[in-house]
Amino acid sequence: MSMLIFLEFSEEINMPAAMIYDAVRTPRGKGKKGGALHGVRPVDLLATSLRAVADRNELDTSRVDDVVIGCVTQAGEQGACIARFGALTAGYDQRASGVTINRFCASGLEAINQGAAMVASGFYNLVVSGGVESMSRVPMGSDGGAIWDPQTQWEVGSVPQGVSADLLATVHGFDRAEADAFAVESQRRAASASEHGRFDRSVIPVVDRSGLPILSEDEYPRPGTTTDALAKLAPSFEMMGRQFGMDALTKGRYPHIDRISHIHHAGNSSGIVDGSAAVLLGSEEFGAAHGLKPRARIRSFACCGSEPVIMLDGPLPATQKALAHAGMSIKDIDLFEVNEAFAAVPMTFMKHFDVSPDRVNVHGGAIAMGHPLGATGAMLLGTLLDAMEDNDASTGLVTLCIGGGMGVTTIIERT
Amino acid sequence: MTTQEFQHTALRGSMDPSSGVTTLTLAMPGRANVINAEFGDGLREALAWARTHDDLKGIILTSSHRDFCAGADIDRLFAMTDPAELYQGVKELGALFRDIETSSVPVVAALNGTALGGGLELALACHHRVAIDTPRTKFGLPEVQLGVIPGAGGTQRLPRLIGIQAATELILQGKELRCAPALKAGVIDALVEGEDELRAHALAFIANNPRAKQPWDQKSPRIPGPQPGSGDARNMLMAAAGMLRKKTAGVFRAPELALSAISEGLAVDLDTGLDIEARYFVELAVSDSCKDMIRTLWYGRSAALKCEGLPIHEGPPFKKVAIIGAGMMGAGLAFVCADAGYEVVLKDVHEEALEKARAHFESQLKRRRKHLSRPERDAIFARLTLTLEPGPLRDSDLVIEAVFENLGLKHAINEELEPLLAEDGVWASNTSALPIFDVGAKSQAPQSFIGLHFFSPVEQMPLLEIITTANTSDAALARCLAFCQRIKKLPVVVNDGYGFYTTRVFSAYIMEGANLVAEGHDPVLIEWAARAAGMVVPPLQVFDEVTLTLGVKANEQGRNYLGDAVDSPGMDLVRALVAEGRTGKADGAGFYNYEGGKRRGLWDKLATHASSSGADTLDVPALQRRLLLAQAVQAVRCLEGGILRSARDGDVAAVFGIGFAPQTGGPFGWLDRQDLTEVIAELDALSSACDERFAAPELLREMAAEGRRFFDTPRAG
Repeated sequence: MSMLIFLEFSEEINMPAAMIYDAVRTPRGKGKKGGALHGVRPVDLLATSLRAVADRNELDTSRVDDVVIGCVTQAGEQGACIARFGALTAGYDQRASGVTINRFCASGLEAINQGAAMVASGFYNLVVSGGVESMSRVPMGSDGGAIWDPQTQWEVGSVPQGVSADLLATVHGFDRAEADAFAVESQRRAASASEHGRFDRSVIPVVDRSGLPILSEDEYPRPGTTTDALAKLAPSFEMMGRQFGMDALTKGRYPHIDRISHIHHAGNSSGIVDGSAAVLLGSEEFGAAHGLKPRARIRSFACCGSEPVIMLDGPLPATQKALAHAGMSIKDIDLFEVNEAFAAVPMTFMKHFDVSPDRVNVHGGAIAMGHPLGATGAMLLGTLLDAMEDNDASTGLVTLCIGGGMGVTTIIERT
Repeated sequence: MTTQEFQHTALRGSMDPSSGVTTLTLAMPGRANVINAEFGDGLREALAWARTHDDLKGIILTSSHRDFCAGADIDRLFAMTDPAELYQGVKELGALFRDIETSSVPVVAALNGTALGGGLELALACHHRVAIDTPRTKFGLPEVQLGVIPGAGGTQRLPRLIGIQAATELILQGKELRCAPALKAGVIDALVEGEDELRAHALAFIANNPRAKQPWDQKSPRIPGPQPGSGDARNMLMAAAGMLRKKTAGVFRAPELALSAISEGLAVDLDTGLDIEARYFVELAVSDSCKDMIRTLWYGRSAALKCEGLPIHEGPPFKKVAIIGAGMMGAGLAFVCADAGYEVVLKDVHEEALEKARAHFESQLKRRRKHLSRPERDAIFARLTLTLEPGPLRDSDLVIEAVFENLGLKHAINEELEPLLAEDGVWASNTSALPIFDVGAKSQAPQSFIGLHFFSPVEQMPLLEIITTANTSDAALARCLAFCQRIKKLPVVVNDGYGFYTTRVFSAYIMEGANLVAEGHDPVLIEWAARAAGMVVPPLQVFDEVTLTLGVKANEQGRNYLGDAVDSPGMDLVRALVAEGRTGKADGAGFYNYEGGKRRGLWDKLATHASSSGADTLDVPALQRRLLLAQAVQAVRCLEGGILRSARDGDVAAVFGIGFAPQTGGPFGWLDRQDLTEVIAELDALSSACDERFAAPELLREMAAEGRRFFDTPRAG
């Protein structure tokens, strides 16, 4: 019994073109004290990507209509509209305004979709979208929120995300061994992609004020991870689930689940990391007039809410909706990026849509490389684009699960 | 012109000019001080009077009754159904308490006795709490036990005083603390010996703290432990929510809203917090659950404890109690009786049974180490005699036969040992189902023959179902009631009949669980449905605990009285499980799997024993209806058949005896909340689909037709 309620998304939407001209990202540093990027201010982290996308496309930043930045934990150093200060720090013209948005883990992709919508509307010509998250400096959850209120618990229902992930795995019948095998493959793919230079086109080293390198490649992966090694890790959410009653908080919605299998742990869940990304979006006409060559177009996008306790199956309805908007079926998609927030998320996606693992997260994912919350969506779009170019694929789909029970999906097409 | 004395019906005041200290003594008419409008008026006027003294240095609040104040006036709370009126009353009381703690002089609560609920909230609004150390004094905020939360600042002041975790535990569980733990927790500030010291301590505090201020009225208030809004506080509240749900399955709204009030109130200043609390309080106080819980858990329980309407024993009490059969029940009973001061003889025919009973007795005594001294424990042990011989039973005032359910055996024992009873002694059978008339068929003194149906584990279970036959004399009943009071059990007296009351309702419950499994419904959902309906223990879990073997035996025995009505798909299933060796928890396998005595999930092959496929699987609400209706129908039949003396008895016995959903007040209270016409239609449909067990009782049809209810319960519009 799935709690997903599938709507009929039959309406094809004819959206004016929004083109993707470029995508860059920083490497991801371990999101803790001692991580390579821990000494970097979040605003500098964001400026690194913004500067790179402007420089290498020789942008006249006075023509940037908006800088739309996803950032989840908008508190402390990431508070007070980091998009605006990131753009100014990067040396953008003061006319390039900035807006910071939060759609939890899909914020970076949401920034792209909102940027694309602005362009497609015809009101905007050029938008820089992206995301930033310094999880080492602004810890997850430090922005508070209604999710912590007991009253929200009684009226809405919400459990820590890891418990949702374990519930998702239980509902879909995934066991620990399958999840660990998935994680090992993510590590293998990431290592191989890195070794073969698959990320070279997108990754921008983070440097200090003298131009000296701080971090040039992803710091988080553990190449050579084996299932035996993962088997030794203790489940991360079992204690909060069983002892602190979090499992009990899911029972009202999932009464048929007798016992949640706590299969997720540090090795098969996404890593906590620091990083940023930026994507250059614009109209076809503006690009042609200014010598920009599009790498792909946004074919469609969608977001959709889902049941908030299991929380993490939003990619399913969001993907159905985006496919319907594009007038496509799942078979029309060549390559996928499904955020590896927890192993069960892409596993559920593949099972539900019957998609071969060969076409999903071909360069590894957040289990190997980490998930800098607000930036990940924008990073995945770039990774997808690189993979499509490497494999000469024409269509690609990127989707992320989201706190509170939502999903965002974007479908792109190479030009 | 100021006066030295003040008089009001709720309290009196006196000013000591030498110290400048005013003493306000709560002295409400009756046996206890309660918080109501009259109390508020009196306290308000008294404060105003105290402040007429220019030389006022401080105020002592104390009581003329044994307790300081036991809380809200339950009668008023029960009657209150208008949210606007209640909110206004709560706000007025809140303002008064606020006025006390923002006085320009120190105010000391001199707690001469127990302070519970509103009584403790009053004390928390004082600058200092000093109490006389007595073993019977208690402190706590037990409001959630009656379906409501503290409404006079308890959820706001207590966490600010003792920290979030400690306050949350006390308030969400409605826990009551004795003196020493209350001091340790910081609920009170000091303990003293006796009245004189109490006054001296209060005077000293006033003298030493002329500018006393509440911690939350300081400039940058901090609370003990994690600060409001911190990550630690947040995690603590989240864990509290989780653990609460784990325990209550979301059935009880009061502790949940108490947590909301604590959490939200701590994010703001005290005055705003008090308003947040008031709004949650009002919502709960006018709710059906609060009314139903008060009706059964307060009025019903106290009436039962006082044996209202039952014969009173005025002669000499029992001295010597003999228990026959040293099984679990016999051994437990021996301890309960010896603990209550009776001389106890425990007889069995097997030496090992007696040895086990002795071990049980000793382990129970050991558990009392904290509360009883060595000599006290020795004295309890000394009251126990274990015997294989009949001799020591001679001159027993009460014999409780607790051997297994075999009529012939019970007759033989009665015939052999009844002559040993003291003159006018009472013979009781602890059978859980056999009609007492039949058990006593061979008795030479049927007027002194009675049923005393205890629940297992007897040390913990509060209920005692007392069964009288047409022959049982009022005198015998009265003596048993006195016995019941002395062993601190809650008596419910019922008339004779197979299964009496509780066993009939309980069997209906667990058999309905088995029936639903047999019909092919998901056992996981059945168990959850029971918990979500408020049942304290789910049916298949408790079936495993009483053992499936017992179910089969009871079924065979029941056939003699009930005929084929005992047949059901559920019973066939239970027999099949027993045949496979799945007899219950004790043997490590039943409806559930067990490892080392611990439940390890429902057996995954139960579905293979279902007689139908479960194609029309019922959802949780439908399963809940089945589980509660099966019991409610039995309860109503017991009432119309004269087994129950009243619906109130039925609710009290169901809640305290078998853990029937407490938030409904019991099966009758549960029916009372519904449209009986619809219930009848539902029963008619069920009885044609399932069987006779759902046949609507005539009484219910009449009540539906006439629009009658079992109780006259105040309901908000």
